[in-house]
Amino acid sequence: MVKAEIKQLQEIKTSVIGYSSILITGCGGCVSVCLAGGQKEVENLVTKLRLSCKADTAPKNIGGMTVERQCEAQFLSQLDQEVPKYEALISMACGAGVQYLAERFPDKPVFPAVNTAFIGINKDLGWYEERCQACGDCVLGITGGICPVTMCAKGLLNGPCGGPQNGSCEVSKDIPCAWVTIYDRLKAQGRLNNILDIFAVREWQNQTQGSIVLDAYKSRYTGEKK
Amino acid sequence: MKSESNLEKVLTDSTFAVTGELGPPRGTSAGVISEKAHYLKEKVDAVNITDNQTAVVRMSSLAASALLIREGLEPNYQMVCRDRNRIAMQSDILGAYALGIRNILCLSGDHQQFGDHPKSKKVFDIDSIQLIGMVKKMRDEGVFLSGEEIAEPPRMFIGAAANPFGDPLEFRVHRLAKKIAAGADFIQTQCIYNMDRFREWIKQAHDMGLTEKAYILAGVTPMKSVGMARYMKNNVPGMDVPESIITRLKGVDKKQQASEGIAICCEQIEEFKEMPGVAGVHVMAIEWEKRVPEITEKAGLLPRPEPS
Amino acid sequence: MNDSQQKKAEAEKTRAVLNHNQAKIKLCLEACASCSICAESCFLFNNNNHDPRFMPSYKVINSLGVLYKKKGRVGTEQLKRMQDLVWRNCVLCTRCYCPLGIDIPDLIALARSLLRTRGVCGVYPHTLGAPEEEYIMEWDPQELSDPDEDPDTQR
Repeated sequence: MVKAEIKQLQEIKTSVIGYSSILITGCGGCVSVCLAGGQKEVENLVTKLRLSCKADTAPKNIGGMTVERQCEAQFLSQLDQEVPKYEALISMACGAGVQYLAERFPDKPVFPAVNTAFIGINKDLGWYEERCQACGDCVLGITGGICPVTMCAKGLLNGPCGGPQNGSCEVSKDIPCAWVTIYDRLKAQGRLNNILDIFAVREWQNQTQGSIVLDAYKSRYTGEKK
Repeated sequence: MKSESNLEKVLTDSTFAVTGELGPPRGTSAGVISEKAHYLKEKVDAVNITDNQTAVVRMSSLAASALLIREGLEPNYQMVCRDRNRIAMQSDILGAYALGIRNILCLSGDHQQFGDHPKSKKVFDIDSIQLIGMVKKMRDEGVFLSGEEIAEPPRMFIGAAANPFGDPLEFRVHRLAKKIAAGADFIQTQCIYNMDRFREWIKQAHDMGLTEKAYILAGVTPMKSVGMARYMKNNVPGMDVPESIITRLKGVDKKQQASEGIAICCEQIEEFKEMPGVAGVHVMAIEWEKRVPEITEKAGLLPRPEPS
Repeated sequence: MNDSQQKKAEAEKTRAVLNHNQAKIKLCLEACASCSICAESCFLFNNNNHDPRFMPSYKVINSLGVLYKKKGRVGTEQLKRMQDLVWRNCVLCTRCYCPLGIDIPDLIALARSLLRTRGVCGVYPHTLGAPEEEYIMEWDPQELSDPDEDPDTQR
């Protein structure tokens, strides 16, 4: 899922100085799972902002509401009644959610309360790790289920570079070298042949805004005949 | 001949080749380049011009290479994948050739985290092996990566780096094979201190027939002091400095350590001259260019063949 | 705010959401023909041995339906069961199908909204059993003071 991290309170506070009322909107999707922007975090932020914002410039009226997902219009509509009561919005959703919220309420200033970090996994409670950069052309089948685009500091496709020592990446002893890991796994699976051939130059698929329309829906959105 | 490179000519003549290295200045002074070039002139066959080495901003390797030609030396123009995408790279290669550059060394590049702009955005659009393939395609097929034709293609002598000491050790020679298959004409290795490991690696390469397909130049860097040896051992990625080197440097008077470092280096070169599969030596005297005449003299590498 | 005041405030919010959506809830609950076609379209129902507690209609009737009929007056135990139904047994993939055109995901989302007014929300497997203070972000008390009133940052 998408992983995010809550911003420093000072930054959030500074962003809303001058607005008399703000609504903090949470998201029940990914940011709830990584404990950054779900209902609990909204309640927490509402309390903290109320406690800390007693100066003249701070918002006097701070509300909180969490919808199921800020990346879907259907769920954003749950905010239609609440939003007009406030001068500005804080979104605790990922970058996608913040933008869709801002698009639905174009007359309201929207401020993000989290930093969207990556697509990753839950290693343990409160511990998340990046696994995918959504490059749009998956090579995991060749690289033993280990992503060189994400895990290699240089994103090399014909790694490893000259840097790794004792299995660690040249940028840090604490980071395993992606290509040593790939080598070890493929070797154990008897699939080293996968990386003996040269990996050709890639046609990067993520250089313009991504958009997917399923074949079955093409005629519906583009007027194209099936 | 694939190019009009002097280095290529020396290597095809089966002469034991010598290359040097020159780091461009952290400023605009062309004088620094002339000064360093002065020490290397007639002592080496070609000079590597580093490309923002360790990710620290310096004068561009393209400009510094062109300045070196003015000094009457042949540059080995280094290009890393960290800072440019395929468009900029191909464009620079065309320009380099137009300026008289005939050798190119294709590298991944150190990660920007080590440099003076650690939070800069990396590029790595293509990697070093893909870069080798791209330069070869430009030279041999006369087309860009896109397949579009090049008017008067750049005829470069293509180099690559190899580290016999990085992880995974067993894969190192296979990666060398990939670089040669991609189109590398010559290989310069990482600085060698662990001779046992290097002998094993070159033997593997030789047995696989790789030394027939590309010229391998063994990399050496003379140690200036025991402090430098310790630093290289502990802080430089991919470097393998055995304890015996440190012990040997510690064994002599502090004032003698530099000479001892040069002596070690010359002994290594003597061994490389006899080693099957080694076609030359790459002397990386980091910020120590003035000692190159002494090293090449003592190691019996002089005089160098006259460039035609 | 003391406990009873808080409860009163929560109950008011719940009633407000119920009142606002009254017509829609009533219409949908009456329209359901118990045909069970929605069940076939639910991947969770199919992946859980056709356990009826995963049927979309069941999930709606036993959460939103109950809250509506009891005007929000349900106890902690019941809230807990509803929480399981609308969070654990449903991921809001919005792919369920109703031949009568009932918007089931909309109703589940509404049930979730009602539960949220009572302080009930989704619990994720990796946080189960961990005390809240462990994973609720605590800011530095320093940060709780007033922001510096830097004129540049004011609008």
